Amino acid sequence: MPSKENESIQLLQGTLDLIVLRTLASMGSQHAYQIANRLEQVSDNLLNLNQGTLYPALVRLEQYGWIKGTWAKTENNREAKYYAITRAGQKALGEETQRWRRMAGLVEKLLVEEF
Amino acid sequence: MKYLRRIFLRFFGLFTNSKTEAELDREITAHLQLLEDDFLDRGMTPKEARRAARRTYGGVEQMKQLHRNERAYQGLASTVMDVQYTLRQLRKSPGFTLTAILMLAFGIGATTAVFSIVEGVLLRPLPFADPNRLVVLGDELVGSHWTRSNATAPDVRNYMRDTHSFLHLGGYQRIGLELSSTSDPVHVYATRMSGEVFPTLDVAPLMGRWFTQQEDDQHQLVAVLSYGMWRERFHGDEKILGTKILLDRKPYLVIGVMPRDFEFPLVPGHLNNSELWVPLSPRPEEFTAGYAASWNLRMVGRLKPGITPAQAQRDAQVVAEETMRNYPGFMQSLRIRSDVKFLHEDTVAQARPLMHTLLIAVATVLMIACANLAGLLLVRSIRRRREIAVRLALGARAAMLLRQAMVESLVLSITGGLVGLAFAAACIRIGISLLPENLPRIREISLDWPVISFALGLAALTGLVCGLAPAFAAIRTSVNDTLKEGGRTGTPGSGHGRLRSTLVVAEIAVALVLLTASGLLLRSFEKMRQVDLGFRVDHTLSAVYVLPHERYTTQSVIDNLTDTLLRNLRELPGVESAGITSMLPATGGSGVIAGLAITVEGYVPQKSAGLNMAAVSLVQGDPFQALGIRLLRGRFFTESDKADSQLVTIVNRKLAEHFWPGQDPIGKRLRRGMAETPTPWLTVVGIVDDVKLGSPDGVATEQFYQPVTQQVVSEGAFASAGELAGTYGYIVLHTDIPPEQLENSLRATVQSVDPQLPLIDMRTMEHVISDSEAPRLFNTVLISTFAMIALLLAISGIYSVIAFSVALREQEMAIRMALGCQRRDVLHLVLTSAAKLGALGCLLGLLAAAGVSHLLRSFLFDVSPFDPLVLTVSALVMLLFALAASALPATRAAKINPMIALRGD
Repeated sequence: MPSKENESIQLLQGTLDLIVLRTLASMGSQHAYQIANRLEQVSDNLLNLNQGTLYPALVRLEQYGWIKGTWAKTENNREAKYYAITRAGQKALGEETQRWRRMAGLVEKLLVEEF
Repeated sequence: MKYLRRIFLRFFGLFTNSKTEAELDREITAHLQLLEDDFLDRGMTPKEARRAARRTYGGVEQMKQLHRNERAYQGLASTVMDVQYTLRQLRKSPGFTLTAILMLAFGIGATTAVFSIVEGVLLRPLPFADPNRLVVLGDELVGSHWTRSNATAPDVRNYMRDTHSFLHLGGYQRIGLELSSTSDPVHVYATRMSGEVFPTLDVAPLMGRWFTQQEDDQHQLVAVLSYGMWRERFHGDEKILGTKILLDRKPYLVIGVMPRDFEFPLVPGHLNNSELWVPLSPRPEEFTAGYAASWNLRMVGRLKPGITPAQAQRDAQVVAEETMRNYPGFMQSLRIRSDVKFLHEDTVAQARPLMHTLLIAVATVLMIACANLAGLLLVRSIRRRREIAVRLALGARAAMLLRQAMVESLVLSITGGLVGLAFAAACIRIGISLLPENLPRIREISLDWPVISFALGLAALTGLVCGLAPAFAAIRTSVNDTLKEGGRTGTPGSGHGRLRSTLVVAEIAVALVLLTASGLLLRSFEKMRQVDLGFRVDHTLSAVYVLPHERYTTQSVIDNLTDTLLRNLRELPGVESAGITSMLPATGGSGVIAGLAITVEGYVPQKSAGLNMAAVSLVQGDPFQALGIRLLRGRFFTESDKADSQLVTIVNRKLAEHFWPGQDPIGKRLRRGMAETPTPWLTVVGIVDDVKLGSPDGVATEQFYQPVTQQVVSEGAFASAGELAGTYGYIVLHTDIPPEQLENSLRATVQSVDPQLPLIDMRTMEHVISDSEAPRLFNTVLISTFAMIALLLAISGIYSVIAFSVALREQEMAIRMALGCQRRDVLHLVLTSAAKLGALGCLLGLLAAAGVSHLLRSFLFDVSPFDPLVLTVSALVMLLFALAASALPATRAAKINPMIALRGD
């Protein structure tokens, strides 16, 4: 049985993974800085995360085989590791989105009933 | 699926750490660079931009740690680090590593190989279903010296009919049959057995079926083939079932083929396993008086559930009592006792002492190997005292040092174990080819899984045990004291010294035990070689023939054949003399030679003495001359000793001394059977010297010889109607050319009298002797090999310890020499300390050897386990080797240049 704290981290991690996958699916291959920027943009800077927090999520997704990183040059001729979503990642994104929707719907329903 | 992939990656991430770290660094640098670029674009100064980038990114080190946790199992990482550290350390000292691994591989390899053999022979269950209920049943003849219990044909019938403890019970007998339907006639080893034996053993045939008890009772001519027979002689013919084969020139219907691993009977003493099985179908004459005292059959049964062997034995004894009540008058004084034993016990009993000795020898070698490894690790930890002290001072935890020490010894022992396994695999191959044939189920021996787990477990255990002492020694290191010694390696604590000395003394002691054992065995072997066998070994050739009943139905046909054969053989160029005997010397194995009961005129046995047993040989032609058996008094048999002339016998010296001590036996009389048996007297006409019927280290047996022509008459009431004499025999030839050159002419001569008659086991007497010596030779070579291994290991142990103490005492020696001590004195000093250890080890070793002497006694021949010569020589050899091992370090110590040594460090 995971503890309560673990569960919340798990949830947060899952969320982060989903967001990263979604970002890569909609925007094409991105490097970590671009993903971080996108995250800040979408969350209107409410999600006060250090950009480094992304890395564990990236390595996890890569080990699952959902994303793949390759080194390339940026427009400014800097080197960066670009991550792209894989076919397995596309499939996983669909499943994870479904799950998230069900979960969100459930929480929403509970919250509505509460008041 | 995705989880499996991740687990795999996270595990292997442990081993690709440096590469991944570099990649991560590169990525972070790139990320920070991009951030910095952005901040610069927003108009910050480079310095501000860099700081802002860092802030936005967050703690680099914390992130790296999170990354590491995410990508690999960090709990394992420290172990991996320990292993990597150990491997690095071991690479730095290849000499130490190689010595340790080889020493262990040696110990573990030898242990595993022998364990495989022990496992294969002793521990492996019988190759039959539910083997724990299989028993052998037989009679013990009260007053005889039989080692295994047998049964007569009436016994088999009675036991099968009247006992209630057995689910199935049947009799069997190993026989030789002439197989003549395939190409040249050959002699095959076969077993005739009751139909009940198959359900007893409960092994399904590969093809076809077994024969039933009914077929057995109805004397049906059916045969079941062994897998080997089917493959080799019938080329695996699928259509073999239903065909007929000629056995002893009678047509047998092939009804089944047994699977490859089916082997019955499991006979110690023969590699010649049964090649086919035929029904026992006892002939009518086997139930006549003449066979009542022929214990030629054995019985095997399966106990009913819940019945113990003791209960079955009581049940069988009731039947035996009834059997005895029905004995003919001339057997009234014979008493039999039923004996029920587990089949497993019966099969392995003969190999047990050898196996125990082997295990002890192996344990000794392993102990020495472990002691050496422990010594090496200890020495190493002393050498690294300063390193460990520094690490402790820098805050390393004791648990970590302990763990590292353990990992080091485990890595060594497991590597040693693996190398040892390869070594063992090779050893088993060699071992099987060297083992004596009388080890049962020898072909099933192989390196298998239980053995491998035993070896690896042993390796791990050795590692833990050997790691423990040095690891604790490492922890006990006092930081202050060690560091205070300031650059000087100094002398190590006396505790270490004592431990090392103890190890050396123990090694010498156990090595000496093996050395004395090997010495005693070698001396036994030498004594055996000097034994007077009583016959000529060189220029003698022998071979067996068995005449098939079908063709040789009357005595005159048989006599005709043997007469012609002997006449033709005598005429062969190169043949000095030729004869036929029913018993060949040196082929009886190591057991007591079974004989038959005799009655000696005028000899009143003591009440408790039991039966008078003697072995009989039936002879034709000149076998005494051909074998070189010396005539002491009287005469050999002649052509005139015929069935209708006076019955005569020749006795051996032992029989004469037993029954007529101090008298002239010529003219005395003896007869076959007991006092009440109506048999005619035989007059002694000659005395010959004793010959060894079994192996040369066996005891001589009371023997008497009779002309084959007088056999049937001399048996009196024992003789059954139509009994034929001389249906088999060993042809013996004395040659004046090398006997091998006569093999073809002997074969041709036999073919000229009966083209279909096969000759079995053609060997020169030199071969016969070396075959009979083989088991002792094997024991001797085996134990001596172990002793040599033990000696080598012990010497290397002594060498390493002395060399190390000398290295540690270099400074002390230098000071002594600076103060005027002579090189000779230094040499003396080192050698004395080695001699002290050696002497103490030898003393303990001799005591230990005395302690285990009872184990060895059964293997010795004509040598006491306390043989002073062997004990002295072994101890001296051990001591000498100990001194030699320390001579090299001692001379090195004596060559120390005091100035260099004192300036060093």
